[in-house]
Amino acid sequence: MQQTQIRKKRRGPFHTMLPFWLILPTVLVLLAIQVYPAFYTIWLSLHERQPQGWEYVGFNNFVRLFGMGVFGESVGHTIVFLVGYTSLTLVLGFIIALLLNRKLKLSGLYVTLLFIPWIIADIIVGIVFRLLVVPDYGLLSGILQNPAIFPPNGISVLTATRPPSWFGGFPFPPALAMIYLIMASAWRALPFITLLLLAAMQTVSNEVIESSRMDGANGWQVVRHMMIPLMLPTLVVALFSLTLGGMNGVGMVFSLTGGGPGSATEVLSYLLYVLGWSQLNFGRAAALAMLIAVVNWILILGTLRVTRVEERTN
Amino acid sequence: MKRLWTLMSMLVLASLVLSACVAPATAPAAAPAGEEAAAPSGEVKDFITWYQYDEKNEDPASDERVGNQYLRDTIPLFNEAFAGKWNWVNQPKAWDRMNAELVAAVQAGGDVPDLFDMGSSGLSLLYQNGALQDLSEWAKAQSWYADMDPNALKACTGPDGGLYCIPIAERPHLVYVWKDRFPEGFPTTPDGYLAAGERLKGEGLYAMTFFGSTDFDGSGATRAVFMTFASFGGGYDDGQGNMLLNTPENVAAVEFLRSMVQNGYVPEIAFAGGFQEENAFKDASAGSFPTGLFGYRYVNPLTAPNGTQYSKGNEEDMLDAIAAGDVILAPFPAVEGQKPGCNNEVTGFGIPVGAKNPEAAQDYINWIMSPEQNPDWVLRPGAGFPALMSTRGLEQFQTPFYQQAGEVVAASACRPWHGSLERRPEAQRLIMGAVYKLIKEDPTADIATVLQATQDEYNAGN
Repeated sequence: MQQTQIRKKRRGPFHTMLPFWLILPTVLVLLAIQVYPAFYTIWLSLHERQPQGWEYVGFNNFVRLFGMGVFGESVGHTIVFLVGYTSLTLVLGFIIALLLNRKLKLSGLYVTLLFIPWIIADIIVGIVFRLLVVPDYGLLSGILQNPAIFPPNGISVLTATRPPSWFGGFPFPPALAMIYLIMASAWRALPFITLLLLAAMQTVSNEVIESSRMDGANGWQVVRHMMIPLMLPTLVVALFSLTLGGMNGVGMVFSLTGGGPGSATEVLSYLLYVLGWSQLNFGRAAALAMLIAVVNWILILGTLRVTRVEERTN
Repeated sequence: MKRLWTLMSMLVLASLVLSACVAPATAPAAAPAGEEAAAPSGEVKDFITWYQYDEKNEDPASDERVGNQYLRDTIPLFNEAFAGKWNWVNQPKAWDRMNAELVAAVQAGGDVPDLFDMGSSGLSLLYQNGALQDLSEWAKAQSWYADMDPNALKACTGPDGGLYCIPIAERPHLVYVWKDRFPEGFPTTPDGYLAAGERLKGEGLYAMTFFGSTDFDGSGATRAVFMTFASFGGGYDDGQGNMLLNTPENVAAVEFLRSMVQNGYVPEIAFAGGFQEENAFKDASAGSFPTGLFGYRYVNPLTAPNGTQYSKGNEEDMLDAIAAGDVILAPFPAVEGQKPGCNNEVTGFGIPVGAKNPEAAQDYINWIMSPEQNPDWVLRPGAGFPALMSTRGLEQFQTPFYQQAGEVVAASACRPWHGSLERRPEAQRLIMGAVYKLIKEDPTADIATVLQATQDEYNAGN
């Protein structure tokens, strides 16, 4: 007993504080690269740059942001993009995962090939997809702009005007360029989502599937009533992952459409890029970044909640 | 007690990290010329420049090959001329990221160059963000100042009247024309342009290609769209810093552009962005191309309407086509009583706030202004007319290209597109968005209403 007390005294404050010192580097890094930028963004959103220095403007940056005609449009475009992108990627990913789950010959090769889009930078994917459909000179323009194939005048993906909106100012149905942007983005995200769903699919017990078949369920019913409910937590995580990626991604828009034609593909992340790095309007860009961050926080909290539910269920 | 100690330690550390990271509330003060401690005899200091050109890039297919070669040729010359004093070190930057990088460097208190290769189009961004030094006093004391074109100096003048760049070359906008596409001469009026468009459409061709997209943050507003507005007697501002778009002249200009587009006199690729509109001029499917004088650098190779190929794949193609008479330069068609309008940009140098060796930049500018160096800079990286009036008369500027361009500029009323507008990036983006909507996206929209809404949105920020 006495020896133990002597040992504790010998250890001193350094040893008792050892855990603190061990996590200190991580804390410092987090403070520098996460906490500080977050507070600086808040500070920026309340200031405006003048030639003489920064000027406090209160919430004026937010007011000006909401007053921009393109802001409302960008919100609409972002919703259309996210809905289209997540739906298309999840549905296609699920279908491909189902096919790969059937233990086909060369399924390993298929998975390897499937992964190619994922290793290409989104900005490169955008350029390649753009070169395919550049009006008059693109690889596919001869087909797309052929009136015999697409009457009456053919179609020009990058420059076709937006169809009249069905819901007032809301950009639906979307412009062809938006549909193309969704397709290109889905093409790139497909490998990751497919593998995620494939992994989840392989955790579904064969006994469960077999017994439901013995009960007379057809293929669709097995998928609808057995696999989807069992994979639901993974599907939700995939959905949030896609939504977060789609919300923050700017490379594809930058290289594929540049926000055009007009402002038809200008999503919030691209608007943020334009405000911050084209117009160097850091105050207003920070205000927009704050709004996007709020949406991201909601999505992250949603993901955490779902994953906790999953853990508890397991 | 232990918890309290831990908490206190964390707070102290956090405050240390935050204070270390915090950006300066005000931009670092400009180092006045001469403040720099005199270099000990024999000590050579680095003179840092940011050019969009890269002397290490020897790719003959590079779009920037002319400027790259220029730096390769002249860096040794400068270092020789200033041996024992300066050693020129160039740090190449992407042309569309330079302004942002400089502003970020200045505001973060990071390393900035001693000299910044810039155009007047970026002046307001850099001025607003406090990135440039006012060079008025120094420039006025130099021998070359009195020889400068006043219009060039005006383009480098900030809203407060200070001189924030030193202009070296002027780049007016004009129209490149395939002569054979207009056998009766390039039209001088909008009606004539429309008539030519109808005729060419009948031949499966187009009268005009232009930067019609909203790409590059609405850069199209500074090109053919401004030429059209100005040639109809309009413009973008009221001279008092307010945007003024809803005028009868501007409405007529938009109506003209709308007719050109909706009648099919302009190819679809004009709206694709990414400078793709150039393709329609390269293969002569479009008869004319209103753009900047410096456009000749990038529009190649060329195939003339008579089948002649200009296929070196560099800037010489356009110059050869002009010398052969296949391409001519022309002013934009203007309404009766109006001079053809055009935008005039200048390119030159700025000295950033926080530059370590501003006197090196001053030595460099004086060197570039010398008769031995000035024409070379203007002809190669400048790609325009000399801002120094005395240089304009030199033999190098008597080629067919420069002679024709000089005649076009003399027949035009060129001025900076932005007039008195201070928030230029925001303005060009709004203007191009409105014009695109009116001529392409929604050709039935009321022109005056859209123009009014656009100017109201801009003016709300004044």
